[in-house]
Amino acid sequence: MFWILIRRLTLSLLILFLAAVFVFMATEVLPGDALDVFLTADDLAVMEVEEIEEMRRDFGLDRPAWVRFWDWFSGVLVGDFGKTFIHEVPISEIIWHPLINSLLLGAVITTITFPFALLIGILTGYRRGSQEDIIVSTTAIVGYSIPDFVIGTCLIIVFAVWMPLFPAVIIAFSDSSPGELLAVSLLPALTVIIGHIAHQSRLLRAGFIETMNSEFVERVRLSGIPESRVIFRHALPASVIPMLNSFAMYIAGVLSGLVVVEKVFGYPGLGRELIEAVSRREVHVVQAITFLSATLVIVMNLLADFAVIILDPRVRSLKS
Amino acid sequence: MKYPRVLQVLTHSPGTMVGVTLVVVHVIATLFAPLLIPFEVTKIVGPVLSSPGSVEHWLGTDNIGRDYLSRLLMGGRTSIFVAMVAITFAIMFASLIAISAAYVGGIYDDVVMRIVDTKLAIPGILFIALIVTGFGRSILALIVAISLSYLPGAIRIIRSHALTIIPLGFVETAKLRGDSLYRIIWNELVPNCQEIIAVEFALRMSSSILTVSALSFLGLGISPPTPDWGLMISEGVKNIHTHTWLVLLPAAFISSLVIGLNLASDGLANALGLDAARGIN
Repeated sequence: MFWILIRRLTLSLLILFLAAVFVFMATEVLPGDALDVFLTADDLAVMEVEEIEEMRRDFGLDRPAWVRFWDWFSGVLVGDFGKTFIHEVPISEIIWHPLINSLLLGAVITTITFPFALLIGILTGYRRGSQEDIIVSTTAIVGYSIPDFVIGTCLIIVFAVWMPLFPAVIIAFSDSSPGELLAVSLLPALTVIIGHIAHQSRLLRAGFIETMNSEFVERVRLSGIPESRVIFRHALPASVIPMLNSFAMYIAGVLSGLVVVEKVFGYPGLGRELIEAVSRREVHVVQAITFLSATLVIVMNLLADFAVIILDPRVRSLKS
Repeated sequence: MKYPRVLQVLTHSPGTMVGVTLVVVHVIATLFAPLLIPFEVTKIVGPVLSSPGSVEHWLGTDNIGRDYLSRLLMGGRTSIFVAMVAITFAIMFASLIAISAAYVGGIYDDVVMRIVDTKLAIPGILFIALIVTGFGRSILALIVAISLSYLPGAIRIIRSHALTIIPLGFVETAKLRGDSLYRIIWNELVPNCQEIIAVEFALRMSSSILTVSALSFLGLGISPPTPDWGLMISEGVKNIHTHTWLVLLPAAFISSLVIGLNLASDGLANALGLDAARGIN
């Protein structure tokens, strides 16, 4: 078991490194360097060649790509993401508060999503093929078909325009206190929760059906244990494995969703920072946010992997 | 394959029928939109923000005086086109890479899977935002970004399906017969992955339409003045207190299209005996 853990950890580190290579390549090598991305055609029309070359030297972009990559990557490992082009502000300073705010919103989303997903998944899986199951499954499909930004905008229309209970645009700053942010995070969280519950409950339903049909559940049943104990003590732990196996996808989905809802509601998080950085073509900020998100996905996936190893004796006994 | 039976199952589920109907209506409307629209979509043809119900402009005009009905009908064309092209390329390459990796195995398979894992670690919208930042905002960059972004997920699903086929007798027989690698992949494996490839195409198609519209909403996708539902919603939000329908109508169009696609692909997956829930990324 120990060696499986070590293997997973090494693999995660390798993927983290590959993600760093990709993030760097996509913005600083293939399309030309960061300055080529930053300067628009208008800028190029008014600037002298010498001026551009001087800027390039100032930002250290005249060095070979692999030297720049190493420079950037060794900085990233200690939390230094470089500086912005405009005003040369350290990027770690810009993204610190938004990162915390986004993690807070993500935590709110996750704590609401999973209890509901578990409940719905078990109920529909247990009564598979019944009228209720078909209705809930179809509703789930509708749930994750509606775009996040449409749900968000509709919530604004209902709760801010028709019934003025909430402000249409969040008035909170990136360094607002967690309490203030928690109060305004309800509508943004609700926006993405619907889709996540729909998706996660379907995964659990699939896992639950598979477990309930397995031989070990049949044996437990035959031993005369009450049905509720069969479900919650024996079947449920085995049923969450498909959910855990796709936990990386869930986290990636939450992060993608955050970009959208933060834009819809004006929530001061990483997603809003990202969109602003893209429009200002601040390559290094986009890099930093993308790489941080990838790190989060990789770490969460590693934790989910460990959980699977603890829950699933078949994986644990695998000698690989 | 038992296609008549598949057709029977498809037509027996009410959800699937609703889905197929929605998709057919959308396809017809999208194809014939240029013939139906009363005004040119990018031209200013009336007063700003006029109310719906007038004889000339049935649904009124938008915030700079363009005919709303025309823009609404044309609003799906660009995103559907982008999604179609991107997903066709993605699924084509994904099938070839996945099946060959599953069959050849070894270092090739390992390298492919590590690249897949790396991409899956980067959340979809951030991945596309990164590429759009690097290569600029254009339809081509968008197609490439979406294609690349959907490739790895499809590779993973198709590969795991191919791995269940490879141990079967007929692959072994072909190998003993002395068939070349190319022939085994093309004549034995690809035809037996058809079903999963079809379901993957349908699921990724609906998901990528969602992604394109979300990107347009965020200002990373299709650029104005092209009519697009995602863009129209983000433009409509400015007047949300007085002109709610400018947001609600494109919202209804995009939602009904994706709901239709997902209901139809779920029905297709069920009819083919595959589990759609695990294929969504």
